[in-house]
Amino acid sequence: MGIGGRIGGSLGESARVTTPLVGLCYDIETRMSQAKRVLVADDSEAVRTVLVTALTQAGYEVAVAINGNDAYEMGQTGSIDLALLDHLMPGLLGIEVIARWQAEGYQIPVIILSGVDDERTIVDSLDLGAVDFVRKPFRLPELMARIRQRLPD
Amino acid sequence: MNGTRIAFFAVGVVFAVDTVLLLGLITLKTVHRRRMERHDQRRSIYLGVLSRRLAFPLHTDYIDPEVARDGAFLDAVIDLRNTVAGPEIDTLAGIIDRYGLVKRQAARLRSRFPLGRRLRAAVSLAEMGDESSAPLLIEFLSDREPEIRIQCARGLGRMQHTPAIDAIIERFGKESPWVRSRFADTLVGFGALAAWPLLAYARVNHDYDDNAAVVEAIRVLGTIGERDIGPPLSDLLAKFRNPELKIAAIEALGYVGGPLAVTPLVAYMQDHDWRLRAKAANSLGEIGDPQASPALRLGLEDENWWVRRNSAGALAGIPGGLGILHEALHADDQFARDAAAEALADCGQLGKARERQEQGQATAADLELLGFMIEDALVP
Repeated sequence: MGIGGRIGGSLGESARVTTPLVGLCYDIETRMSQAKRVLVADDSEAVRTVLVTALTQAGYEVAVAINGNDAYEMGQTGSIDLALLDHLMPGLLGIEVIARWQAEGYQIPVIILSGVDDERTIVDSLDLGAVDFVRKPFRLPELMARIRQRLPD
Repeated sequence: MNGTRIAFFAVGVVFAVDTVLLLGLITLKTVHRRRMERHDQRRSIYLGVLSRRLAFPLHTDYIDPEVARDGAFLDAVIDLRNTVAGPEIDTLAGIIDRYGLVKRQAARLRSRFPLGRRLRAAVSLAEMGDESSAPLLIEFLSDREPEIRIQCARGLGRMQHTPAIDAIIERFGKESPWVRSRFADTLVGFGALAAWPLLAYARVNHDYDDNAAVVEAIRVLGTIGERDIGPPLSDLLAKFRNPELKIAAIEALGYVGGPLAVTPLVAYMQDHDWRLRAKAANSLGEIGDPQASPALRLGLEDENWWVRRNSAGALAGIPGGLGILHEALHADDQFARDAAAEALADCGQLGKARERQEQGQATAADLELLGFMIEDALVP
């Protein structure tokens, strides 16, 4: 769902409030505080920028990591609802981050992004607990659909 | 005294010159680093603006046409070109067109700039992979600089511009081995689309052209692995006179020939040239058809070690081949016995036999193999 849909819904709900503008602001704040948090971890600035732009546009809160170690630490905060991890990053690999989170009991759904599309990488990622695997370069609408599927409202 | 003064003066001059050179170098490096930092900052800003365009089609941020002059903008476009696929590529193609990025790089490529700048232009065009640059890239496939020719071919491969296949193949016979091998990589990227033109090239040129180019073309055919060209390649193999061509074709048939190639390959197991026999054994192993087993069994007794080794290796991968290798442990020919034992060891049968022996579950064949290896001192 795009942001247009969200604002339309908010106006409908806020119609019950005496002051429409105050109601709208309250509603947006409530939504922001309830927004799902997505971690984007990739060493490519272009990938990070595209994903952060698209996810923010779609109403998600976004955390960004540029390497596997940072991604692993951000997951430990317990506030991540979904992680998009690059397969090959400086520091920990995407699948190593998943393995560590799982060993410590963090059940974070992970979508692996990878420029390597050999069968072994895909199978290893899914076996280790990734919920999905997306090849780079990726189709943005398709990736967003996969994210929405994993993070229903 | 005068000599000492002159010496001190000379040392002073050298020191001063070194200091000036060092300071100059440090200044240049600092300027370059700051320039790169500013370049990266601008690139980040462009990435943000362009990403909004991609993520939000109704986005209306103004982009100054002057940015087309900025290398950071071009880098941002190329980065995004390598990041997204599908409809977003069309959006990027629109931006590339609107800001004249291809035209600008084309002008650089055509210019009399030194190689470095022209090469950067060729790399940018290849990375953008924009269809509008295809005619230019085809034209520059015959540039005087090999690096530029390679980048042009790469760009054409990236955009899967099929009319370029013939143009690239046409250059095959005129290029050095290095450039040719890079062209070959590009042709592999075209996949099945390049298979028939390559076969046609080999058919027309095998008698006249540089054999190395035809050999490379046939190797590419094997790498592409298009099964439909198996039968015509078998026919072509019969026409080749040069052994290098025959070796390349026999190898390619292992990947593309399928069961139809078994008969011609089995015939090559009787060739007087051991290289052809060895390669034929390999290819029969790649095909994996049990019809080849009798010929490969004979290959175990070949006079040449490579033929014996490849025949045994091929049998190890063919259905029923392990049984033939176990039987060959009793062959009259010592070479055949050794080749069979080595192949059984290489394909893991020896290890499995040992495991089963340790677990007390060894079969008669396992014990035979272990006994043979110990008897012949092939294993401790």
